[in-house]
Amino acid sequence: MRSPTDYEETYDPGDIIVREGDESREMFVIQEGEVVVTKEVGGEDIEFARLGRGSFFGEMSLLESMPRNATVRAAIKTKLLVIKPGSLLLTIRRDPTFAFEMLQHMSRRIRDIDERLVELMTSGKMPKEMSDRIERLRATSEYRTLDGVDE
Amino acid sequence: MKTTISESRLLVVSDVHLGNRLFRARQPFIEFLKYALEHRFSLCINGDGVDIMQTSIMQISRDLAASTILLQKFVRQGLKVYYVVGNHDIVLEHFLDDWEIIRVVPFLNVVSGDSRIRIEHGHLYDDMFVRFPRIYEALTLLGGLALRIHPRVYHALDRSKEFLLSLRRSAKATVEGNEADFIPGEAPAFRDAAERVSRRGFDYVIFGHTHKIGSARIGKAAMYLNTGSWMFRPHYVEIVDGDVDLKPVVSRDAGLVRESWTTLMEREAGRG
Repeated sequence: MRSPTDYEETYDPGDIIVREGDESREMFVIQEGEVVVTKEVGGEDIEFARLGRGSFFGEMSLLESMPRNATVRAAIKTKLLVIKPGSLLLTIRRDPTFAFEMLQHMSRRIRDIDERLVELMTSGKMPKEMSDRIERLRATSEYRTLDGVDE
Repeated sequence: MKTTISESRLLVVSDVHLGNRLFRARQPFIEFLKYALEHRFSLCINGDGVDIMQTSIMQISRDLAASTILLQKFVRQGLKVYYVVGNHDIVLEHFLDDWEIIRVVPFLNVVSGDSRIRIEHGHLYDDMFVRFPRIYEALTLLGGLALRIHPRVYHALDRSKEFLLSLRRSAKATVEGNEADFIPGEAPAFRDAAERVSRRGFDYVIFGHTHKIGSARIGKAAMYLNTGSWMFRPHYVEIVDGDVDLKPVVSRDAGLVRESWTTLMEREAGRG
């Protein structure tokens, strides 16, 4: 029987767990197995991460109510803990270190992106369109209040 | 802060309470550290290693002086000392970090062999600590005062607290499950918390805090262990390449002949 807050799901190798562009909102913790994260670039699936036991994914769609930004497939037989948006706070209340690990995970991701960005900017390999976009973002951020709401 | 580590050989102790008047195992603790060094184990002190809430300055100085020298040896020998913060040492976090011989963390996720092990002090699941922090602190300080009078006064106070808590527990819904699923004398909340944490892909969950030694099954294949307290019956968890065992610390007095503590430990561990 499914718990009102979270439940477990099992996937066979190759099964799609979430698809890029999907509107689903759950996040997942890998209890057993391994998943492959891919993103479609120019009509081709590019693998950019493999996640193992204890890792989690899908938290961005849950937190921001945005479509999935990548496709996740089971690499081997995989068992997942599925957390629904409405039960995240209850999960954190019962298992407070989960929130700490989520923040750690997201902080690590931001650091990685920053490093890649600096690498690109300093190597001069960044397309002009992208550097213009960064400049635009930088300019926009000055017009945001501290809580991220546009004035 | 690095909370996920890989260790093939790790010993875990909790609630040593260095500095507490009830901590009488200074020599066994020193011998234990020597044993860990000799057998190339890293060490994890899972909370309440140093007791600032019920301390005596004299005792904390003596206890720390003896142990610090050995803890420094871990670093010199390329071994690690992890310190998971507990409720009796929260205020010491920066002081402990500044020692630079230990890594202070809120919890540890250990990858050893094929096992994933969570080490956490467990005070976050103590209903009393979370819901009534001021009362909890007052009771802890009262316990320290009782200790100054006499350890028996402290034990009497502790027994009354346990009695009141057990009444509160029995007033709640009865807990389903058999004996192997619970640690005797421990509130079911800790085992339940361990089970919730284990659902995030852990094979073992190790807590301290409750001073109740034991192990219990959680979920389909995971185990919950509690290492108890060194103030009463010193125990430790030994992790070797993913195998996890809860073991008692044998006393030198337990040997019928004059044997080294390490020999006794090895025999107890089945290696002698």
